[in-house]
Amino acid sequence: MNTTIPLLELRGISKQFPGVKALDKVSFAVYSGEVHMLVGENGAGKSSLMKVLCGAYSADEGEFFFNGEKVAIKSPADARKFGIAVIFQEFSLVPYLSIAQNIFLGREFPARFPGMVDHARMHREAKKILDLLGLDIPTKTLVHDLGVAQQQMVEIAKALSQNARILVMDEPTAALSDRETERLFVMIRQLQSEGVAIVYISHRMAEVFSMGDRITVLRDGKKVASLLPGEATPDELVHLMVGRSVDRSYARNFCQTEGELILEVKNLTSANGVKGVSLTVRSGEIVGLSGLVGAGRTEVARAIFGADKVTSGEVWLHAKAHRGGPDKAVAAGIALVPESRKAEGLALIRSICDNLMLPGLPLAFPSRLYKAADARQIASALIDRLRIATPSSQRPVRLLSGGNQQKVVIGKWLGSNSRLFIVDEPTRGIDVGAKAEIFALIDQLVSQGAGVLMISSELSEIVQVCDRSYVMRDGRIAGHLSREQLSEENILKLSVHHE
Amino acid sequence: MSAASTNQRMAALAADLKTIGYRLAAALAICVVLTVLSDVFLTTNNLLNVLRQTSLLFLLASGLTLVILTAGLDLSVGANIGMSACIAASVIKLTGSALLGAATGVGIGLTIGLANGVLVALLRMPPFIATYGMLWVVHGVTYWFMAGTTIYGFPPGFRALGSGYFLGVPIPVYLMFVFLALGTFFAQRTTYGQEIYAIGANREAARLSGVPIAKRLILVYAVSGAMAGLASLVFLARMNSAEGDIGEAFTLPAIAAALIGGTSLFGGVGTVSGTLVGALILTLVLNGMNLLTIDASWQPLVTGVIVLLAVFFDTLTRKGGEARK
Amino acid sequence: MNDSSIAVNSPTAFATSLSRVPGVAWILGLLVLTFALASRDFLSGANLLNIGLQSVILLMLALPMTLIIMTEGVDISMGALLTLSSVVLAWVLAHDGSLMLALAASIITGLVFGLMNGMLVALVKMPPFVVTLGTMGVAQGLALLATDGQSIVVSNDTLQAVYAGSLAGIPQTLLIGAVGYAVTHWLLYHTRFGTYVFALGGNPDALKLAGIRANVYLIAVYAFGGVMTGLAALILTARMSSGHPTAAIGMEFDAIAAVVVGGTSFEHGNGWLFGTLLGVLAVGALRNGLNLLTVPSSVQVSCIGLLVIVALVIDSFKGKK
Repeated sequence: MNTTIPLLELRGISKQFPGVKALDKVSFAVYSGEVHMLVGENGAGKSSLMKVLCGAYSADEGEFFFNGEKVAIKSPADARKFGIAVIFQEFSLVPYLSIAQNIFLGREFPARFPGMVDHARMHREAKKILDLLGLDIPTKTLVHDLGVAQQQMVEIAKALSQNARILVMDEPTAALSDRETERLFVMIRQLQSEGVAIVYISHRMAEVFSMGDRITVLRDGKKVASLLPGEATPDELVHLMVGRSVDRSYARNFCQTEGELILEVKNLTSANGVKGVSLTVRSGEIVGLSGLVGAGRTEVARAIFGADKVTSGEVWLHAKAHRGGPDKAVAAGIALVPESRKAEGLALIRSICDNLMLPGLPLAFPSRLYKAADARQIASALIDRLRIATPSSQRPVRLLSGGNQQKVVIGKWLGSNSRLFIVDEPTRGIDVGAKAEIFALIDQLVSQGAGVLMISSELSEIVQVCDRSYVMRDGRIAGHLSREQLSEENILKLSVHHE
Repeated sequence: MSAASTNQRMAALAADLKTIGYRLAAALAICVVLTVLSDVFLTTNNLLNVLRQTSLLFLLASGLTLVILTAGLDLSVGANIGMSACIAASVIKLTGSALLGAATGVGIGLTIGLANGVLVALLRMPPFIATYGMLWVVHGVTYWFMAGTTIYGFPPGFRALGSGYFLGVPIPVYLMFVFLALGTFFAQRTTYGQEIYAIGANREAARLSGVPIAKRLILVYAVSGAMAGLASLVFLARMNSAEGDIGEAFTLPAIAAALIGGTSLFGGVGTVSGTLVGALILTLVLNGMNLLTIDASWQPLVTGVIVLLAVFFDTLTRKGGEARK
Repeated sequence: MNDSSIAVNSPTAFATSLSRVPGVAWILGLLVLTFALASRDFLSGANLLNIGLQSVILLMLALPMTLIIMTEGVDISMGALLTLSSVVLAWVLAHDGSLMLALAASIITGLVFGLMNGMLVALVKMPPFVVTLGTMGVAQGLALLATDGQSIVVSNDTLQAVYAGSLAGIPQTLLIGAVGYAVTHWLLYHTRFGTYVFALGGNPDALKLAGIRANVYLIAVYAFGGVMTGLAALILTARMSSGHPTAAIGMEFDAIAAVVVGGTSFEHGNGWLFGTLLGVLAVGALRNGLNLLTVPSSVQVSCIGLLVIVALVIDSFKGKK
């Protein structure tokens, strides 16, 4: 085995999306038998790189070399040909098929009779792979009966059965317990000793340093460093990750006096991963809820709003205990701007007017008699105030641009007497101009006495806009940063596992 | 400002008229064809007959339209008619009171609708399977209750509901227009109606906007049930007799009427007035087949094909429309 | 290996299926017990055989219905289609066709409708229940048209011999049912087709990632339903000695009931064929027992409706855990 020639090398890979340069001349090499850690903050380009690797995106420019030979990776089939297998966080497993059937899905061994599957051989082969991974689970077990860790192992087995020589893993330990993580590491070491190259995306400093043979840091779509674990301390690594260049055109007057308490959350725990979260929001302030994707920020928002079931803990609004579903939350003056505006925020086939009016219907029409003309007037006023670019309030929302759609999602709460606004990724996928407008709008809300809890994956946004911020990690509040302490580096230090 | 809003209002009205207009034109075209093909079509008697049949179908389909607007479905409406009619009939026979019988009929319909609503909204069962199960439960109870007998002969006052005339126009036709107005008012002029459209267009967005989904769903299924109860009374009064199988043939035409009228099975799109036109078109087609002495056995086949075609185009336009953006 | 290896929730597939048994077996046991206590005749050999014989048609529908429901679909045209196929079979026989020809016509009728259902669901992406609601109307209408609303009486000795005859002491009808079950079992558990049926409901994206043309298999599932329905028409026609235009209207509901009671879920491709067999027996026992107790068939339908609703409610609670 010649370790001086990389198994796979990418040179000068660029990938452009409308308005965003996702990857900017990234070069990246992975050697047989090494674990290559890929780190970076949200949106640094890790997933884009991963998608280029597995052929899901084709790069705009750049070259690939496999074992020193120039090759092209343009489709998932190409990637498979070179033995590149990707394990995404969402599994591609069929719950009521056995482990063996899942491993060989679509590549069943034919038996003598056409269409028939040679089960005996399939289970034999599957057993071989499981043995290789040191997994002692019968191959006939249904995937549905496996825990998350074991499902992950089945995904890995599936990749290996396709003779994967390069295994790409996206935060594989995110859903695992300590014990399961340990087990995964043992397996990774074993694969490594068999010459498999592993590209490993992680936010956990401990495992980056303990597992990694080499670390590549991405920032803003560029490679900023490639180093060996011994060459940097965790602090230095975090420092390399932050510092994205983002437009800094929005400034606001930060809250000087302490407003009245609007929201107090005590020890909130929910079925989908919020673990004992406590936080407060006061009138006149924008409070950040920061952390990496998957840290449980959206889940906290949904639990406060009553969209997901709360298993324990309390939500206090204006010093009154609050509980119940979204209808109760809206009546109590909470507004939620959800993470996915198309799936959760808008009725795309309905008009701008209909969407803007929806939450405020009981307030605008207390008699429950809906007057279309009045609604149109209210909507037109909102459209003017929000500067939504449209010829008419009657146009279907789906015809608007992303930024204007987002204004509708925020605007629909302006008629509902909301005092607490929970905004989840309010600037995702919209252009710079629209971003500034949205922040101006949020600023206007707090200056009128509302409180805002803002979730954002863009650390720079949190730093620029928020009066203070909570940082989440693994469903818990990992720390709180006051205005003076707020910096991208401090947020990231709390976000990543860094003891 | 007010000029602009008047303009907008006119534009909205024009858009409404356009969608209904195509369908009205289709209905008119069928009328022309039938006038040419049959001497009997353009007689007062036949036209009143068409209107009477349309009104019965509309009463049933109007409630169903609200359900379909929420992206649901109520397959139990036909069985609901059967049970409501049979129990109302026996109450009238027992007590001699048409009023009590009528109240019972609507009450039974409402109860079945409420049960559907609870299954769909609170127990989160898929609407089609919940109401399909309900269909057979109701169907069985009705047959057991009737035990093969027929109840017939009702007081003239009650019969007028189905076969009476006022100023030369059948009473059910008045009912049709009353419920057209009520249904349109509910769907377009109340905040409940707005919320129902929102649920059908994007249930999760409606929920996260504070719409009490369960309450609204129970409401629409209850209304659909009550309308089936009312339709059963009209039918009963018209037929002057009740048997166990009285409503079975109505489910498919009612769904067809709503779909032809432009209500989308995927929710959030449609109007009660559209359903009226849909009911008219379907009735004209069936009436025409009747006049042209085409075997009545063709009716389920034709209705089935119409449903398939309506859903086919609905699927194509809806998927296409959503794919575009 | 006594080490730290990850806790295995359920050691074998066998134990998993055992853990599923209680629901339907419990219902079946309770039904048998109730009827055995209520009616002396229920447990007699003749009656048990009778339940078996009566259940065969239902089984022939419930088997493919299991597969269809596993793909998160449903076919409510089956009862009407069975009726139409039976009418076609009777019509061909009545017009001096051979039994083979008649059976072929019946199966082709089923196949055509199955393909139509499958293509509308898979290619046009129309919701399965409305598609089959529409084709139900079409099949019902055709059956009415073909018969003029009357029965087509059949007196064919071969047909009766197939139905009433027995092979090595076992009634041939039962054998047909057994073969139908065996074939479906083989298809579901031993072929690629079966594997993909699980995936169609469980994770269709996984199929696409694996480069499988999922639509072909989805159409095949509905086509299989059509073919089995065409076969079942043979038994139905023989039993009634006629093709009647309303003979099997609503029978799809018994089939759906058997499948749902048998533990197959409308979500995630969670199907269990043996459960369907038990479910068929439960529905058969319920109908037979209520018959013996002279409960009118209408009430039986209501009971089955309630059974389905209860089974679904239990299913939805299980799903929520």
